Amino acid sequence: MGDYTWFHDVSWHASYAIYFFVIGICAGLAFLSYGSWLTPALRPLREKAAWGSLALLAIGGLLLIADLSQPLRFLNALNPFYLTFTSPLAWGALNIVALGIASVLYVLALRKGEGSEGDGQGRGKLLATITALLALGLPIYTGYDLTAHQSRPVWNTPIMPVLFVALAIASGTAVGSLLAGANEAARKVLHQYLLWSTAAVGVILVSILGTTNYGGSASELTFLILTTGTMGLIFVGIGILVGTAAPVALLLAPFGRQQTGLMLAAVLVLLGSAALRYALLMGPQHLQTLY
Amino acid sequence: MSEELRVSPIETRGVAGKKRYAMVVDTRRCIGCMACQVACKAEYDTPLGVNRTWVPYKVVGTYPVVKKQFLPRLCNHCDDPPCVRNCPVDATYKVEDGGFVLQRYERCIGCRSCMAACPYNARFMLPSHRTYTPITNVVDKCTFCFHRVTQNMVPACVQTCVGRSRVFGDINDPSSEVSYLVARNATQVLRPEEGTKPHVFYIGADRNQTEFGRDAYRKPEVMDLDRAAFRRHFNI
Repeated sequence: MGDYTWFHDVSWHASYAIYFFVIGICAGLAFLSYGSWLTPALRPLREKAAWGSLALLAIGGLLLIADLSQPLRFLNALNPFYLTFTSPLAWGALNIVALGIASVLYVLALRKGEGSEGDGQGRGKLLATITALLALGLPIYTGYDLTAHQSRPVWNTPIMPVLFVALAIASGTAVGSLLAGANEAARKVLHQYLLWSTAAVGVILVSILGTTNYGGSASELTFLILTTGTMGLIFVGIGILVGTAAPVALLLAPFGRQQTGLMLAAVLVLLGSAALRYALLMGPQHLQTLY
Repeated sequence: MSEELRVSPIETRGVAGKKRYAMVVDTRRCIGCMACQVACKAEYDTPLGVNRTWVPYKVVGTYPVVKKQFLPRLCNHCDDPPCVRNCPVDATYKVEDGGFVLQRYERCIGCRSCMAACPYNARFMLPSHRTYTPITNVVDKCTFCFHRVTQNMVPACVQTCVGRSRVFGDINDPSSEVSYLVARNATQVLRPEEGTKPHVFYIGADRNQTEFGRDAYRKPEVMDLDRAAFRRHFNI
């Protein structure tokens, strides 16, 4: 007679990884829109990035609500009598609402022409700064959301929020690169952003893999889950090799400075960052289901 | 970690004037009859596919030197429960006098953060359709039979345990049976390294079951079908 093992469901399913992906791009685009106030070369992206960020925030918010098993109770997460500030999700809920308000005000300001250099510039720039700071909260809170779970290898590392910030910059810049099209000045700046943020993702992944492989038995087993089989194909194959190493190599090559090269790298980064988010979310839950 | 070490104000173990309920599971007395699992199901009408308590077993050794090891499992009603601090809406809370970790069903938004936080897989999502109760689509777990204990009864699983493997009581009371068992026997808790200070104590638990076994990654033939079905079902 074989063992009787009680299998458990994973807590967070793949839809949560889609949410991570969407709000990562949302935050990245908010950074780009803010960056356009500091770097004139990004000026053509200001409105596009702001609108894109707002649209993705709306989609992300709906995804998050739909992922709840009691979607209509999402307002509980904003009820001051219920809020528990020891939970990263409570901070996340407030962050999303605040970012939504700031993004709408920013987009309205841009529509009124306050995005142009001139009289209204001060207000537009101020709103861009606030939006970017609140957008920074999205990857930080999602990373911390995983970090706070003390029993999960990979998640419970202090570097997780940093990884999510790097992923947000990389994927936001990747979308920005696709939006920039033939604009050469913007392309040069985006090339640098994409190269360094993707390289940062690579460095963080290497450090996570190192600490996971040399951790306790749970960490070691999670390392095996993440690096072999189907999950290995997604994490190492698509996430690290195709989505991180290949774009860095491409961006370092002369071809990567051309429009086609940058766009190809951007697509690979988007593919890789989606795969990484999926693997980082699901892989560490896999082992727990068997405990 | 020392049992006396108290680092969080939420902890009530050893606090004078407060009850702190705990369970001792003597695995040497468990015969694997699963009566506890059935009693719990009957008490709460827990739906198919999910359990508040369950009794996994593992056959250890090589024939003819083999033994079936049981490890009854349930919510550990931790003194420093990660599920409580991870719940964004205070739907999960700890009863200060007694140490029960309970759930407010009407407040739960179903974000499953508590499920992710629990190192013991003690929490589960109730299905959308149930026969006798409208409580659906929220997270549920063992309550240490709060409704029974407050009426001076023991939990249903303890009441029904034929081998008296499960013993329940106030560990803050030095004259209780659980205090006696914990003081006089070598006990262990599950995953003490997580710092949750669980209050389900095991006597004679087998490390093949309390630790993450290599089997979690290795694929013994007997588990292949189950594992494949599970992965298909949850699409992982």
